[in-house]
Amino acid sequence: MVAQVESIGVENRIDEPRPRVLLRSSEFRRVREDDWRALEILIGKAEKRGIRSLSAEELQRLPLLYRSVVSSLSVARSIALDRNMLAYLENLSLRAFLVVYGPRTTLWQGMSRFFAHDFPAAVRGAWPHLLIAFLALMAGGLAGFLLTVGDEQWFSSLVPSGLAGDRGADSTREALLNREIFGPWEGAAHAFALFANTLFQHNTMVGILAFSLGLAAGIPTVLLMIHNGLIMGAFVGLHYNRGLTYEFIGWLSIHGVTEFTAILFCAAGGLLIADKILFPDRYSRVQSLAIHGRVAGRIALGAVFLFFVAAILEGGFRQLVSSTDLRYAIGWGIGLLWLLYFVRAGRRKES
Amino acid sequence: MAGIAPNVRIFQDRGGSAREIITPEAVPLIVELAPLSERAAAFIIDFVFWNLAVFLIVFPISFLKIVDVTPEIVVGLMLLVSFIIRNTYFLHFELAWRGATPGKRIVGLRVVDRNGGPLLPSAVIARNLTREFEVFMPIVVLLSLEEVTVGQWAQWLSFAWLLAIGAIPFLNRDRMRGGDLIAGTIVISLPRRALLADQAQNEFRYSFTDRQLLAYGNYELQVLEQVLRGAETSLYSNEMLRQVGEKIRHRIGWTGEVPLALEERFLRDFYTAERAFLEREQLFGKVRPDKHHQGGPR
Repeated sequence: MVAQVESIGVENRIDEPRPRVLLRSSEFRRVREDDWRALEILIGKAEKRGIRSLSAEELQRLPLLYRSVVSSLSVARSIALDRNMLAYLENLSLRAFLVVYGPRTTLWQGMSRFFAHDFPAAVRGAWPHLLIAFLALMAGGLAGFLLTVGDEQWFSSLVPSGLAGDRGADSTREALLNREIFGPWEGAAHAFALFANTLFQHNTMVGILAFSLGLAAGIPTVLLMIHNGLIMGAFVGLHYNRGLTYEFIGWLSIHGVTEFTAILFCAAGGLLIADKILFPDRYSRVQSLAIHGRVAGRIALGAVFLFFVAAILEGGFRQLVSSTDLRYAIGWGIGLLWLLYFVRAGRRKES
Repeated sequence: MAGIAPNVRIFQDRGGSAREIITPEAVPLIVELAPLSERAAAFIIDFVFWNLAVFLIVFPISFLKIVDVTPEIVVGLMLLVSFIIRNTYFLHFELAWRGATPGKRIVGLRVVDRNGGPLLPSAVIARNLTREFEVFMPIVVLLSLEEVTVGQWAQWLSFAWLLAIGAIPFLNRDRMRGGDLIAGTIVISLPRRALLADQAQNEFRYSFTDRQLLAYGNYELQVLEQVLRGAETSLYSNEMLRQVGEKIRHRIGWTGEVPLALEERFLRDFYTAERAFLEREQLFGKVRPDKHHQGGPR
């Protein structure tokens, strides 16, 4: 006995063989399959050679076909039991979704948007956190300075030996002047090694710590800022006692202005995270982290760039420029540029 | 700001490694989270690629003798060049290839926004540059042979940091690493699936009653679909099909004879009839997930 598939339902009893079979899913597939295949070809092309390889006409068809396939998927889920067809539609819809809603920017556009808008806007948004980090650093600096000026033994207990080098309570004014502040330029090789060393070891460790300790409610971040301030204050105190304050701050300024800005940014990012975890507002804590983490991440990433600049200044220019006045001019001039950049940049294109 | 409505779970857990994202058209799409092993494989492939590029740049320079090249400089140069290369590499590909690097593409992985929104450049930048904080910079500190300026504790700290960061993907259900958490992204498996021929057909030799078709559910139907696809590619011999057919006939109480040559025909007819039956039942709201489902004859 040969039966034909027909698209009309037939009343029949449970023990009677059905003379005709109604297969809606096959009919559905027959009508829609051309659209699916067309979209599959477009998506394959876009995945392989980028969305720019599609012609104007193809680009026009893409969203229409995408919507048609997504609606096919919705229907198929409720009427079809063909496993392969369902899996295919799920897969095709997802691939098309990723092409249709994928990023349309190149690396260059993304980077320029980041520096022209996202980064300065994120920094401006975190000004209370920056202020807290700054005050902690300054408080530490003041304490370190006063302690060291009063009793120079504090210097060796505040400053780790790796950072202090051969400097300490025994250093004479001449030693500090000739070996440190106006030490000779030891050539490109040494400058480069110093560059890599400061960038990839000391600075980043401090940055990583300041940022990531934000996860621990931010208190360690504040402590770290105070600690950094203490070290800086101890150095200033040591030089103050030998009448070298002006020269030392000039020596420090040339890269320090940028470097401390970067450290403060990392700390502000950490404090922002701490703030949003502790006070998630109307979101869950994880949601809050996901939303504000991006902003905090932007600040920290921009800080990496600042560390880069600071390391170039420290490795390359600090010993080359031997005039203290010029050091002030360079260090604070760049600082002024940073200030202008963070206050002014990307104001027009707020989104 | 990312458009998350408070207290609405757009991103839903569907059990196992399947997750649901909602498109702007309000259609839920099912995505499969990538296994960590596949992500590691993709990372190793990328690692080889970018280090090849670094080597090709650094190796000639260290032989050029422009300046007196000390090991210190070569290491510094390596650090700098690989920093620039690997970040350019990841950022460029994840933006240009919509969430895939060469390694991810070979393995079949994609980065997507976990809320179903578009993958924004800021998210790509965030998830990739976070990798610097997460892994590379601590590794550099850990491996530095000479006395680090920060001292011995920096190395212990980096080690602890690496352990803690490495544990994150194992500790959250969506297998997100730190960068994913900050950027709000997940990594999914995206194999390509082909649309194969429909196993249902128009013409029948055998037909079945509703009582017979009630013996099975969706699960068995889909197993039978696999068997038929296997038969199409001669993966299954006629004898194996015979065993399947015997089992079905026994269960549904089929009395007639089916010659060996027509076994595939019988299975195909049964598949078509069963699918038509189950699809019709489903349309009436009576879903039968498998043969153990309760719900006798009407």
